[in-house]
Amino acid sequence: MKRFFAIIESPAMRTFLLGLVVLSFQTTLFNTLRPLGVVLQVMLLFSCASGVAAGSEAGAVTGFIFGLMYDMVLTAPMGLSAVVFGFAGYMSGGVNAFVHEARWWVKIIAVALSTATAVLLYPAASLVVGVDGLLDSRIVTVALTCAAFNALLAVPAARIARWALVKPVRQAIWAE
Amino acid sequence: MIVVLLLTSILLVTLDLRDSGFVAGVRDTFGTIFRPVERLTNVVTKPVSNAWRGVLDYGELRKENLVLKDLLVKQEGTAIAAAASVREAQELLALNGLPTLAGIDSVTAQIVGQSPSNFSQTFELNRGKSSGIRVGMTVTNGAGLVGKITDATLERSVVMLATDPEYAIAVKVGNCTTPATTALTTTVPEATTTVAETTTSSAAVPPTGIDGGTTTTLPGETTTTTSTVPPTTTTTTSTTTTTSTTTTTLPKPTTTTIKGFTPFSTTLPPRPGGAGSQITIPDTGGLVPRETGALEGRGIGRTPIIRFVQASERLGALCEGVPVVTAGGSQSLAPPDLVVGTVARIVNRKGTAGPLLEVDLAANLESLNFVRVLLYQPATEIPR
Repeated sequence: MKRFFAIIESPAMRTFLLGLVVLSFQTTLFNTLRPLGVVLQVMLLFSCASGVAAGSEAGAVTGFIFGLMYDMVLTAPMGLSAVVFGFAGYMSGGVNAFVHEARWWVKIIAVALSTATAVLLYPAASLVVGVDGLLDSRIVTVALTCAAFNALLAVPAARIARWALVKPVRQAIWAE
Repeated sequence: MIVVLLLTSILLVTLDLRDSGFVAGVRDTFGTIFRPVERLTNVVTKPVSNAWRGVLDYGELRKENLVLKDLLVKQEGTAIAAAASVREAQELLALNGLPTLAGIDSVTAQIVGQSPSNFSQTFELNRGKSSGIRVGMTVTNGAGLVGKITDATLERSVVMLATDPEYAIAVKVGNCTTPATTALTTTVPEATTTVAETTTSSAAVPPTGIDGGTTTTLPGETTTTTSTVPPTTTTTTSTTTTTSTTTTTLPKPTTTTIKGFTPFSTTLPPRPGGAGSQITIPDTGGLVPRETGALEGRGIGRTPIIRFVQASERLGALCEGVPVVTAGGSQSLAPPDLVVGTVARIVNRKGTAGPLLEVDLAANLESLNFVRVLLYQPATEIPR
């Protein structure tokens, strides 16, 4: 029983469960709320927030897992969102390399920039694997809207991601 | 670690693009775990979604509702005539041993979800393999082609819309070699008239199944829709009910022409066993030429295009407004003669590239609710 609880409380399991819950919000609530016709990307938000909360490497791994979960419900090639979200997590985690204790507005900027980059990167990555037709002028609106929304929720998302990723002894799981 | 993640991604993309059973299995398993969580979240977040829709869409929905009601009244008469035309066309095709949509079973399904991505255009249906749905099957609605099934689990399936950049299908395009004959003429009395309120549904159906020969009078509207009908067109169905008298002021006559259709005039002997009725079949020498091409989606908010169309003199000029239907054939995704839409614009290109045709889809993909899945799995989609 003790071992069971240890598994449940482990950061890996927490991350997976958090991913499931966030994905369910992505496919239900955030699929309905479409400001300017854009689907808000909460899976990407948490990928970037993980980077801000626990560093580049943890952000990359979490982003990869979240992207992979997102790919499971999409018809796009599996692994495409994973690599893009992984990159976004890694990029947002870069803020910790430059700033020792990042202020809240630095986190917001990091999440917004990573989100916009990931949204722009996705059609480019699709093109590489042979899915064309996604790169058009609409992508700018999508990137800006998603970046603005993710910036708005960056701080609370970073706290939730920190809860999921960091062990009670305050040691990041992925840094091991 | 980063390199490992990158390599894993490449491996997964490669496996998925090669239609690996492993990737499909992982997706199915994840779907089984994820579905209950999604359902629960849907229940919890429903009030928020409804409130959002109520705030933003209420006015628009009211306007749309009024327009639709008006449209519905107008369409009722046409639908009766069209049903008669379709029945006649199916009889003709069956008589000549040609494949028809009527011979293909179908499943009606409801759309229960939409793709959460900004890039793919897919919908989720509430029917799956247990209803006979398989990957590659064609999805239509009352208006025309909607898309194709790209994924199917036991109780769910995913439809890729015809506007998705990954969607492509062989289609036929009518052209306007022959001068467009008047296909639909609406004649209405000009002055105030006192008439008996009559419901008359009468269809004189020419062989093309689309062209004129349709007379429809609706209650209270006293609108007669007639067309240029070849003299030998002989199939007529008529029912009349007289009820009351009313006074109506009606607008001046209007004429609408549907391009690319010509009535034909070969008459068969009376149908065996039929009570004097006759079937009219097309004169093959006068059939409207059809050009084939490939319809491809171009993404959200953009009309699909048709490539590989030749503007040859032999087949005549291409016109805007002509209908586009599926080409069919052993390698095609859909059975033949399924309505796709009409040509909205012709973009001429230099050299031998041929023109590009922009297509207005007949089905409104922005407001889908119930769709019909044709249980026809193309040969190219059957798993090896």
